[in-house]
Amino acid sequence: MTQPPPPGAPGPPAPDEALVEAVAGAYRPEGLRAVRAHPNWYDLDEAGRRLAFERALALRELEAALDPEGLSTTARAVLRKVRGAAGP
Amino acid sequence: MYKGPGREGVLRVNDLDIFAPAIAAGDADAFARWLGPAERVVRESLRPFAASVDAEAVLQEALLRVWQVAPRFAPDGRPNGLLRLALRIARNLAIDELRRARVAPPAPPDDLERAAEGEAAGAPRSPDPFLRRAIELCRQGLPEKPALALAERLSNAGADPDERLAERLNMRLNTFLQNFTRARKLLAECLRKQGVEIEAELA
Repeated sequence: MTQPPPPGAPGPPAPDEALVEAVAGAYRPEGLRAVRAHPNWYDLDEAGRRLAFERALALRELEAALDPEGLSTTARAVLRKVRGAAGP
Repeated sequence: MYKGPGREGVLRVNDLDIFAPAIAAGDADAFARWLGPAERVVRESLRPFAASVDAEAVLQEALLRVWQVAPRFAPDGRPNGLLRLALRIARNLAIDELRRARVAPPAPPDDLERAAEGEAAGAPRSPDPFLRRAIELCRQGLPEKPALALAERLSNAGADPDERLAERLNMRLNTFLQNFTRARKLLAECLRKQGVEIEAELA
């Protein structure tokens, strides 16, 4: 059975804040066949990846609220690619 | 150019399929109107995968594929058919990524299917003009450098990596990210003071 850590013992290390902030952004490199993962996503552990997911969710809400058309940076990134192509 | 419902003001419809015919005809403005409310629903459906796949990359690819397959979309008589299609595409892309990484799917297919049908993800939401006004007020009170970092991220909308945004502002990457973090936290603090409920992860 796993014992609880003794009082005052350090907990698991917090995810690297700069990495989480970078991964929570909308930039993603374009691959040959599909949008690719952010390079820093691979540097995060599971807790960091979950944190980046939740932060992105919150940030997109904020971005959409600030945008005159209610679009987040993710939606704008997708639209840029759509408008750069000939059509569906 | 899309000229149907929802062009002005807050979108007040629950069935986003009103945009489907125009999207199928190649109207990117109609796709933008659909994307606004649909994005969050699709993103939330990817939460079970968040530790194993880059949900942002999967989401963007899924939304691009919706645009590509929209001309062949056939409504089934139930609301939000195109959104349900987007959820299935996103889920399948996430599962493909898991297979590539040889990781087991995080939830049984039945649960995932329910999410794809929109029951777990919830109904599409519309922009809130009051929230917008509150955020804009708080944004105006940001110190210069955090305000610049936030503005650069917003205006660039994911076109370039943070390294390039930092260069444009004559900042080192870490300084840029620290300024962005500061902007986010100050906005959250300001919104809380105005009584605006915000998601914990913004703070």
